[in-house]
Amino acid sequence: MKKTIAIVEDERAIRDNYAAAFAREGYAVRGYPNRREAMAAFAARLPDLAVIDISLEDEPEGGFELCRELRGLSAELPIIFLTARDSELDAVSGLRLGADDFLTKDLSLAHLIARVNALFRRVDALRRPAEEKQVVRRGALTLDSERMSVEWNGQVVLLSLTEFWIVYALTKHPGHVKNRQQLMDAANVVLDDNTITSHIKRIRRKFQVVDEKFDAVHTVYGMGYRWVE
Amino acid sequence: MSRFLELLKTGPISGFRLRTKLLVLALTTLALPWAGCQYAREMETVLRESEQQSLLAVTSTIAGSLKGRQELLFRADSLPGAEPSNARDITPVVLSGEPLIDGRADEWDPDARNLVRVAGPHNDSLRLLAATHERWLYLALLVRDDRMVFDGSDIAPLDPAAMGDRVWLAFDDKRGGQQRLFFASTGTGPVRGRRIETLEFGREAAVEEPRIGGVWQRSRDGWVMEISVPLSMIGQHLGVLIDDRDRRGGPRSSYGTLDPSDLRATGRLIAASPDLNDHLRQFSQPGVELTVASNTGAVLTRLDAPALPGDYTRMRGFLPRMYRLFLDGGAIPRNVSQVERDKAAQALTERASHGKADTALFAGRYENSVIVAAAAPIFSADGKQVLGVIQLAQTADRWLTLRDRALTRLLNLTLFATLFAVGAAFWFAGRMTLRISRLGAAAETALSREGSVARVLPESTAPDELGDLSRSFSSLLGRLDEYTGYLRTLAGKLAHEIRTPLTIIRSSLENLESESNSDNARVYIARAREGSERLAAILTAMGAATRVEEAIAHSERQRFDLSALVRATVAAYGTAFPNRRFACQLPDDPVEMTGAPELIVQMLDKLVDNAVDFSADGATITVNLRADEAHAEISVANPGPLLPPEAATRLFESLWQYRAEADKRPHFGLGLYIVRLITEFHGGTARASNLPDDSGAIFSVRLTR
Repeated sequence: MKKTIAIVEDERAIRDNYAAAFAREGYAVRGYPNRREAMAAFAARLPDLAVIDISLEDEPEGGFELCRELRGLSAELPIIFLTARDSELDAVSGLRLGADDFLTKDLSLAHLIARVNALFRRVDALRRPAEEKQVVRRGALTLDSERMSVEWNGQVVLLSLTEFWIVYALTKHPGHVKNRQQLMDAANVVLDDNTITSHIKRIRRKFQVVDEKFDAVHTVYGMGYRWVE
Repeated sequence: MSRFLELLKTGPISGFRLRTKLLVLALTTLALPWAGCQYAREMETVLRESEQQSLLAVTSTIAGSLKGRQELLFRADSLPGAEPSNARDITPVVLSGEPLIDGRADEWDPDARNLVRVAGPHNDSLRLLAATHERWLYLALLVRDDRMVFDGSDIAPLDPAAMGDRVWLAFDDKRGGQQRLFFASTGTGPVRGRRIETLEFGREAAVEEPRIGGVWQRSRDGWVMEISVPLSMIGQHLGVLIDDRDRRGGPRSSYGTLDPSDLRATGRLIAASPDLNDHLRQFSQPGVELTVASNTGAVLTRLDAPALPGDYTRMRGFLPRMYRLFLDGGAIPRNVSQVERDKAAQALTERASHGKADTALFAGRYENSVIVAAAAPIFSADGKQVLGVIQLAQTADRWLTLRDRALTRLLNLTLFATLFAVGAAFWFAGRMTLRISRLGAAAETALSREGSVARVLPESTAPDELGDLSRSFSSLLGRLDEYTGYLRTLAGKLAHEIRTPLTIIRSSLENLESESNSDNARVYIARAREGSERLAAILTAMGAATRVEEAIAHSERQRFDLSALVRATVAAYGTAFPNRRFACQLPDDPVEMTGAPELIVQMLDKLVDNAVDFSADGATITVNLRADEAHAEISVANPGPLLPPEAATRLFESLWQYRAEADKRPHFGLGLYIVRLITEFHGGTARASNLPDDSGAIFSVRLTR
């Protein structure tokens, strides 16, 4: 059965273009121009993944509200925020509400589709029992590349897709410095320096929620970051 | 008033600072003591004039009480009658105490007005002084004589061969006869007057008159004889004569007020009535000296001034002295000699003796003492003849002292008030100037060259006009800030608005790419995508400044070693830019500072990017770090083209770029703007200049540690 992707986007041309791209990948796509219509449809039947624009018609932050309501309906449903805005505040708010990824509209369709595929893969993996060979252990860190989940001292650290890929790239070769470009490639995103920096900051903070003394991500000035065990 | 304001604007003080102006204005309060002085002087003039008038009135009253009362004025035998005044007239003064008859001239005043001078062999050979006390007349003969010759024998005073110097005294007696007495002695000491009486057989004998005595003494330039005579013996006329001999029994030379041929007295004795003093005493006032003179000006009697009640010594000390310097203007004669003083008094008496009552003001005996005098003529009963003159003199010290006290107090108060006003004005002006200059300085720096605006100025809570001004400035700056804010965010907003249609174009192209198979179409799609990507890059750049500002605003400060950071970063540049060489000079010690290391790295990236852009392959880029106690300075130098003159000031502005040749990459001159933002976040400054040898450019940032 085809997986269903819901696109909530008030700009009709963008919605249709995205829908066409997802359809070409074999997904069933449903588009909604605003929160009201989207919620009405979601109440009847949940999609398998939702791509939500933050600004929806007359609601400048309708996407956040929709995300919250959707999380109320389903805890596991992957949600991707897609927006023209790229300021820090939007990103922080979106992720706090439980979004799985936060992307700007600059992202190419190919990248977008790669992310959607990855998220579906994560969902699928979570439904299967964990396979040992996909699990990487580095000291207190347990990283499941299949399920795209991370644990620190046995406690789950909720990382977004981008953050997961950054952590994954860093932990693959502990002690090796990864520069920004390498991290961007790993995360399948085009981000500027500041956004990478704030992603790193957010990763540190998320780990520090479960362990105050977390200090595994080091900054190497002028070069990038490295994972220290 | 408008003229005054005009003067303030264009006058001599227009160039002064506000503080000086206010100070000068405050000094105008000095007009207060000046006005006080003027007022005091007017007052003083009025007071003095009224004092003079009242003194004159009193004088006239006394003169009126004596009008026609010759018997009260002169002793009965001295009534001047119709005889004209005569140089031989003797006018004795009234003494308050009995004089000591000792033959010494000390207690006599040889300058007195009633002195009678007679010329003999010398000028002033005889000076005759007269005085009365109670019922006695006292005479003093001051004789200038080269050789004093005494009689040879006391027992034969009439023997011509034994005769020495002798003194004749002649006067009318009350019965109309003439009394002639002579004084002769064999030595100095007491002597009795002797009368020559004709005895039987025509023999003459010298008979002593026991009531008339004298004392004969030598003096420095001759001799002195003092004589006392009971007034009751004397009629209207009185005179003395000196028989001067150079040797005993030698020829005599006679001089005196008597006729030498018949020894007749022609000069009158004009003495005050014994009742005159009693009469005058009823007019006596404290502080007022009362003098009665004959119409010739010879003093008949003088009543000394009874003491004034209270203390009227003039104030001493520096300030009262200074005040008097201002006050005692020309009206009061000062520092006048005794002679001039006497002249002034004499002139006054003379005017009165000519029938004209008058007042005058002259300096007293002591420093700063002033005497007010009034003189009035005493007329005869028919009012045609002046019998005498009465003069009242009063020291002005009383009202001068009162004036001084009032004035000193007034001047002290106004001086204090002036000082206070000047002080207050100075303080106020200082405060005002400070506030204004603070406001001015704040207004000057409120709008930085980069367009950031300080919206709160000092004084904005003050309730006065300066507060209004400050608030006006603030609201103006607020509006300016809104506008600059609008301009600053315009690029970001535009970028955001353009992003949506761009996304439509890009997603459409991507869809088209995956569906179209025509080769021609692919070429165009590729070009369209290239164009849209460039457009996207431009949009990213346009929003970059805003993003950096936000990132900076959210940065956290920490302590770190700047030296280690620079070393690591520059080492990384070696691999990032293999076509350039990097030289790095660092201090030996770690440079600890507080800041955001990620931002410093970003700043170094931009500076090095810039240096790489403007230098040729193989060039050496030098990164230096210097530090002192409070600051750290990083400089990045590269060989290459020089900066144009205007670059130094504009280089760090947003969206300003200088590029020698066209560059394909979209470049918005944001790099150095970001450098500036990061520098400012670290409390520092950024500047750019050419290297001293003009081989390239150097960019330095100075950070607060």
